[in-house]
Amino acid sequence: MKRRNPFRFRKHTARHNLLLRETRVEDLMAEHPPVRESGGLSVPLRYYCTAGKGMEQFLAEEVHLKLSASDVHYVSGKVFFTTSADIQKVVGLKSAERLFLLLKREAPLSDTWSAGQAARVVQERIIGEHQAWSSALQWWQNLRQALGEVEADQNTIRRGQKRKWFEGEGPLPLAPPPGVLEGERHLAGAPASEEGEVTSTQKPVVTFRVCCRCSGTVARKLGSQDLGRLIGTAISRQLRWKVELREPKVEVNVHLTDDHCVIGMPILRLPLAQRCYIRTTGLRSTVAWAMASLADIKPGSLVLDPMCGVGTVLLEAGKEYQGSFFLGMDIDPSQLEKASENIRFAELSNSIELLQSSVTAIPSPSCSVEAVVCDVPFGRKFSSRVEAAALLPAAVKEMGRVLRPGGTLVLLLSPQLSILLDSILSPSPTADCLGNQPGGDPRPLPSLQLSATYRVGLGATDGLIHKYRKMPQCDTRT
Amino acid sequence: MKLLTHNMLTSHVKGITKGYPLLIKATEVKVSEVEFNPEFVSRMIPKLEWAALVQAAEGLGHLNDLPVELVPDFEKNEDFLRRVHRVLLEVEVVEGCLRCPESGREFPISRGIPNMLLNEDEV
Repeated sequence: MKRRNPFRFRKHTARHNLLLRETRVEDLMAEHPPVRESGGLSVPLRYYCTAGKGMEQFLAEEVHLKLSASDVHYVSGKVFFTTSADIQKVVGLKSAERLFLLLKREAPLSDTWSAGQAARVVQERIIGEHQAWSSALQWWQNLRQALGEVEADQNTIRRGQKRKWFEGEGPLPLAPPPGVLEGERHLAGAPASEEGEVTSTQKPVVTFRVCCRCSGTVARKLGSQDLGRLIGTAISRQLRWKVELREPKVEVNVHLTDDHCVIGMPILRLPLAQRCYIRTTGLRSTVAWAMASLADIKPGSLVLDPMCGVGTVLLEAGKEYQGSFFLGMDIDPSQLEKASENIRFAELSNSIELLQSSVTAIPSPSCSVEAVVCDVPFGRKFSSRVEAAALLPAAVKEMGRVLRPGGTLVLLLSPQLSILLDSILSPSPTADCLGNQPGGDPRPLPSLQLSATYRVGLGATDGLIHKYRKMPQCDTRT
Repeated sequence: MKLLTHNMLTSHVKGITKGYPLLIKATEVKVSEVEFNPEFVSRMIPKLEWAALVQAAEGLGHLNDLPVELVPDFEKNEDFLRRVHRVLLEVEVVEGCLRCPESGREFPISRGIPNMLLNEDEV
């Protein structure tokens, strides 16, 4: 089945990038006019996605498997790939944050220029040929057109949520936070007026804004804002696009680091990681998806999440692996209530069921499920960190017990709990005293073999995903 | 609670040796249509405790002509798979309780969610 080979995708360093010759949009354009065939695009396009910390390898594998992508390369925070898959499929990626059409990816700007020469450097290295920009824009428009329905869907969902919020929870705040305001306005007004523009005039004015981020040498010479302004000026002068900061048609994303210089256009306004089917989010959806993708879930698998919270891991798993059955447990009835609502909203009531129970006493027979996935609370959610640590041996023992031999256990742990679990499960004298605490279950820990660990970012902190396989010679069904 | 879930539940009260299957005492049962997936049902059947499923279905009055013994070659028997599908996935206990066959401890089911939490002294 799925095997994760860390060497399958080359990780590019700055030096590699210098040697790398990207397939550019204009090269494709020269060979193939942008005609959209039924269901997919006639030519492969080059995209990139941003990814959360540690998610790059999951995304690289996902684009490879789902989009038959070629030329898959990743650097920290970004995955580049080429695919001719239907854009609807591309926007269905689960481990990505945002999706961009790649305009160009070049070697980093050299450091032999001064701030005074910045305008020239921008013109030569970032703007370059007019053709690249106009063809990229045309492709971008094609993709946007093909996605018309998707964006409309997102639109209705957002509106629905807002209405719910308005009706349900007291007065609507007078001024929503700035980020939300911007997003809402785009969604509410932009798509319709865009369509109008395109059809009503023959040569519509392209409005744009530049979103520029710099780091390393470049950032020491000029701030992101100054560079962004220079780039904006150069674009409007050369391409006759019009700067529009509030509701631009296109956003030009520029990322300049010591490793590369990447320019792209976001294809959707909302991040892919923002799921239209999740109402209350717990864990980051991308990380939840990654956990599910590691659990070796097959058609007909029985999968348990013994500390499901609002059910994010179950939802991601349930959407991805239709034809399997999922059981979620939690000790807290208020969490279960939210999980229940989430499951109904995601239309997964037929494959996910909930029950109230403690992870230290799972009410299922031994060796009864094929996979156990669990986002182990990090201690912050408990009254003290000691409690989460004290809970861990008994919890893992129970999870191991209900797994069938050969089954898979996937845990998300804090760095501290990760170290603790390693020491519990490693065959050393300390295992006994940690694994069998006074008053704890006297049975030995099931033999779980660690097959991989992945470090992923969770906002303020990092988490570690541990994957174990239960050894076949274990305890029998009771 | 679907009967598939019930099939995976056992009483875990301290000291008991036979906590399976749990007896269902239902006060509200609903039957809702679920899309039939023959492959799913075929894959699920070998994992089930068949006798427990039959007993649960019969107790709820939804036996749906399921035989006491599992029929051979069920994978090819669409009619049979449809009947199992109905019992496994379409019949749901909304309100009621689950009773431990040995200790008699009752676990309430409310809005379809069984509460299997034990008190400190029961663990």
